[in-house]
Amino acid sequence: MVAVVAESVAESLAERKARLRLVAERVAPLSLAKERTLPLIPAVSDLFVGGTLPRGLVVAVNGVGATSVALILAAGASQAGSWTAFVGSEDLGLAAVAESGIALERLLVVSHVGVRVDVVAALLDAVDVVLVDASLRLRHVDLRRLSARLRERGSVLIQVGASKQLGVDIGVQVMASQWSGLGDGFGLLRSRKLEVCAQGRGVATKARHISLGLQPESTSVDAEQMWLARRLTCL
Amino acid sequence: MVGEALNLSVRTVVVWCRDLEGDAPGFESVLAVLDDITPAVEVMRVGVCAFVARGPARYFGGEVALADLIVARIASSIEAMAGATNGVRVGIADGPFSAWLAARSAAPIHIVDPSCSAEFLAALPITVLQNRELVEVLARLGLGTLGAFAALKPADVLARFGNEGLRAQRLAQGLDDHVPKGKLPSTDWSVACEIDPPAQRVDKVAFHARSLATELVHNLESQGLCCVRVAIAADTEHGESMLRVWRCEGTFSAAAVAERLRWQLDGWLSGRVGGSRQRPTAGVSRVVLTPQEVVAAGQSQVDFWGTGNMSDNDCQAVRVAARLQGQLGVEAVRVPVTAGGRHYREQLKLVPAADVELLGRSFSVSKSTNTANGSANGDAPWPGSLPSPAPAQVLSSPCAVEVLDVAGEVVVVSGRGVLSAKPYALVLNSQRFEVVAWAGPWPIHERWWDARRHRRQVRLQLLTTDGLARLVVREAHQWSIVAVWD
Repeated sequence: MVAVVAESVAESLAERKARLRLVAERVAPLSLAKERTLPLIPAVSDLFVGGTLPRGLVVAVNGVGATSVALILAAGASQAGSWTAFVGSEDLGLAAVAESGIALERLLVVSHVGVRVDVVAALLDAVDVVLVDASLRLRHVDLRRLSARLRERGSVLIQVGASKQLGVDIGVQVMASQWSGLGDGFGLLRSRKLEVCAQGRGVATKARHISLGLQPESTSVDAEQMWLARRLTCL
Repeated sequence: MVGEALNLSVRTVVVWCRDLEGDAPGFESVLAVLDDITPAVEVMRVGVCAFVARGPARYFGGEVALADLIVARIASSIEAMAGATNGVRVGIADGPFSAWLAARSAAPIHIVDPSCSAEFLAALPITVLQNRELVEVLARLGLGTLGAFAALKPADVLARFGNEGLRAQRLAQGLDDHVPKGKLPSTDWSVACEIDPPAQRVDKVAFHARSLATELVHNLESQGLCCVRVAIAADTEHGESMLRVWRCEGTFSAAAVAERLRWQLDGWLSGRVGGSRQRPTAGVSRVVLTPQEVVAAGQSQVDFWGTGNMSDNDCQAVRVAARLQGQLGVEAVRVPVTAGGRHYREQLKLVPAADVELLGRSFSVSKSTNTANGSANGDAPWPGSLPSPAPAQVLSSPCAVEVLDVAGEVVVVSGRGVLSAKPYALVLNSQRFEVVAWAGPWPIHERWWDARRHRRQVRLQLLTTDGLARLVVREAHQWSIVAVWD
């Protein structure tokens, strides 16, 4: 009985300390650059210096598989409680978003004809990670305006599939993409391997290469064979 | 509303018991009979009632069958009571006004075909309008029929006869957007204020709205209630109006209501709201706040630091969603919800953020989308859905392509789901990609019992030389790309 009471006291003490820390953070007069980061999931953490995504940056992702990589970059922050916004065309595959690890309950999708830079700016003020696709043609001037806002608010703008341009802090390029599982008339797309390279300004001047293996958790061989067997019975 | 021809009319049944006009107890028994047919009957006056046709018509096998059934049931019930049977008239048309006039025509059952109400009304005399003064003036102007009145320019009607006249003209045009509702509204908490002189600027309206919102919240508080959803309507001098429904995480404070109104009017008055809605031509003269969902107060307790259970992140995201909806329209900001289906577009759907509680949601699907063993969500199996990985791009409008074999002929699929040849190349916008690997064909045959929504297609996964994997389907003798694993 005593032990139980002591445990609950200890628990509430830890809880209180956590709350106090939160308040302290909120009223802290300054924060260091290394504290202003967003977490990344382990698979892509080697892509950035320090293994985290620095806040206040414009990141551009290009190449075959850019959408997948951009989603994975956003996933770490999303799992840690940040909100994610996607701005652009209607073609986002939501199942892929879920598979990448982004928390769907903290995702806003803005795909609307009237979307302009000010909408992206409003989102950047409130949401930690904003993904924009190529359908939203952001010009150099827009990026400069946005990046001033980004630095102040500490959010990250990820551009998917836009051509290289000025105003981008870190460019992430997918160099090669290799699928496995699909044969000549048999099999299924199962996993893919991407060679990804990140290079940018400041501390990121030196290019960093990683090889990223994407394998959906649920596609065990059993499940796949079951699926194929079912297909055969359907036929 | 000037210049807009939005037809929001709903197929409506009007039942008119000529012999029972003024006989409330007798009519009550007719209503009891109709209650067996539909739960939502709206009594227009003793002797006349209306209800929405769609549900009952589908259940009883069409509008004709429904009308026959109504007449037969009422006839048998009245016969049991008194014996007068020939006074029952049934009219079905778009909107209660047309349906009522259809019921008044000579035949016991008169069904006006969908979207033919305007033609039906055009021939009727102007005297069927309820507004006697208006009818007198129109008759003197030589407008003898509803058709002649309907043909006038709405702007002219508004200028001469005001809102009342415009409403009458919309009725005459067959644009009757009243929907009969069975239940009486519960206590009406709505508050309204007139702004005189009409305000052109948002801040002026917001100034009035602030006190109105305080009044609303105070009224609710005195009953121990809080509001979680509020409809804000603003009318201008020229009869334009804008209504939008807002939902709040937690409960609405007076300041929050005023803020929502500001966002809503900001978009409207500056002409930035997309779609058919245009910038109003006059100042805002009236604002109405109607709480649509109230809960007992005290259910949501705000903690010392003022955020309740919401983190800073959540607060800001919810606010920005509401703000952008005010600027761009409710449809602009959407969030995913779980739905069911075999196709990628059906498994998760986007709905406007205003329709759901943004906080505290959870996704059972999450990242281990278990499509591999045939279930897109926890409770329903969807045999035939493709296992993960899911494509990052699911095209909203499929993109037509050609799938060619070695000889350059289009690959076709037989009725038994067999390919005519191995796919060799994919031609997209006159660009040619050779196929590196492929699998399929996986046939899918959905809703074969439904002539309209029936779908039959065959799917292929194609990996081409450009490194992209695509899901290609053949439906109605046409290959198209539906998804890209980008």
